[in-house]
Amino acid sequence: MKNLIHAELLKLRTTRMIYGLALAALALVPISAISAIAAAGRSGGGPALSTTEGIRNVMTASSSGALSVLVIGILIMAGEFRHNTATSTFLISPNRGRVVGAKLATSALVGAALALISSVLTLAVALPWLATKHIRVDIFSHNVGLVLLGGIAAMTIYAAVGVGVGSLIRNQTAAVVIALGWSLVVESLLVSFVHEIGKWTPGGAAAALTGNSSGRFLPMWGGAVLLVAYGLAFAAAGTRFTLRRDIS
Amino acid sequence: MTSIQIHGLTKRFGDVVAVDNLSFEVAQGSITGFLGPNGAGKTTTLRMLLGLIEPTAGSSTIAGKPYQELVDPFRRVGAVLESTSFHPGRRARDHLRVLCVAAGLPVARADEVLDEVGLADVGDRRVKGFSLGMRQRLGLAAALLGEPEVLILDEPANGLDPEGVHWLRKLLRHYAGEGRSVLVSSHLLAEIAQTVDDVVIVAKGRLVTQSSLADLADRTKPGVWVRTPQSQELCKALASKGIAAEVQSAETLVALETTTEAVGITAAGAGVVIFEMTARHFDLEEFFLDLTTSTTNLSTEGASQ
Repeated sequence: MKNLIHAELLKLRTTRMIYGLALAALALVPISAISAIAAAGRSGGGPALSTTEGIRNVMTASSSGALSVLVIGILIMAGEFRHNTATSTFLISPNRGRVVGAKLATSALVGAALALISSVLTLAVALPWLATKHIRVDIFSHNVGLVLLGGIAAMTIYAAVGVGVGSLIRNQTAAVVIALGWSLVVESLLVSFVHEIGKWTPGGAAAALTGNSSGRFLPMWGGAVLLVAYGLAFAAAGTRFTLRRDIS
Repeated sequence: MTSIQIHGLTKRFGDVVAVDNLSFEVAQGSITGFLGPNGAGKTTTLRMLLGLIEPTAGSSTIAGKPYQELVDPFRRVGAVLESTSFHPGRRARDHLRVLCVAAGLPVARADEVLDEVGLADVGDRRVKGFSLGMRQRLGLAAALLGEPEVLILDEPANGLDPEGVHWLRKLLRHYAGEGRSVLVSSHLLAEIAQTVDDVVIVAKGRLVTQSSLADLADRTKPGVWVRTPQSQELCKALASKGIAAEVQSAETLVALETTTEAVGITAAGAGVVIFEMTARHFDLEEFFLDLTTSTTNLSTEGASQ
């Protein structure tokens, strides 16, 4: 298993795909943080920076790369079928479940690493700026530390969810389009208009994790459990049904 | 010793029977050519042997075990299946390094095999810039990484230039010489006739024949096919004149390496009646074509009944 995870990490490092997506994920962070601070307290913007809500809102910038991370997860799995590399991967490890396990672990590592950098970037933008506004921020407080931790957890699990999606939908393009369409359109509509259903979606679970304290979502731990369950369920279903298909 | 054993292997894709109750063996230390026209089920058979395709029925083993049950399969079996299974954006050396890491081999093997297949100079190039021949070589390099005792190659000569084919033959010969087994598929007998010890010929998913190449060559020597009610007498008469002949049935006989004139004169001298006589001048390739097309016809007849 250790060898397989090392190989997966090497696969990522040796194509350009990961760098582009990682850059996209990280570039979103300062943009989100800046716009959150700039728009705070204005009409159409978030709550004022003087409030707890306002600070939390700024900190959620740390998980703005979640969708990029989801796509990375999808490509880690579905890319094997896109380029037929599944053949040599499954020749080395005929146990396809182990391959999925290695990919889940790898994607989680990548997600966690990007999330950590995202947190640092968020603080790097927010702390000096807020200091100039004479707003003191305690990074170990619930409003900051917990939101950042939740964001790290959400992105870590989101990457693994991507692997699950990619194992369920072997066609890489279809998997990416469906996942993004679901997240950006269907899920947003559900969360906004049919909230009772929306909060149980993967996106709803992620929102619970990333510090939406409005009480409209599940508690943080509930969001974490639900999101992990989605990832594992997709991966298990993919391994059981889709991945067992012939590789030709 | 048997290195690869295929027993009653069958694969159905919907109504299409791609491989039909196929059985054959590959002996250790030999090169076996797996021959058949396109669509004969060769690739499907090899992929079933490697655990990539689930057979509808039957089984296959390598070194006595199904592929999925081998410990460290990548070190036991090297396979070259298609020239397209590379990430186009990955450098050739990196592709091999990934496989090394996954299989627990030292990454230095990547450079060794690149050298072995003549790609040392282009190891840093991304695979998308590779020609078909270079991809075949890279696929072969990947198969050699684990120094496997069994090599399985699906149409490895595709895309190779004549010099490349010559190189491939030498490499396979060298490999078999070390006591390893090679199973190599091809739709062209001529391509591998100089290399293989044994041949397994398939058509329409069914076994046509398995024999040593020498036996196959014997069956294809030019000769004279004769229909006569006195085949035994004619055979003796021919033998007394130093002409080898095989009685095929009560009424037919094949005289080897001779002419219709010689057979006619011998028959007249022995007082043997001849009903029909034809000279045969086929070569191995024609014989192969004959074998596979006649089976093709048979199975289409079978299907229409």
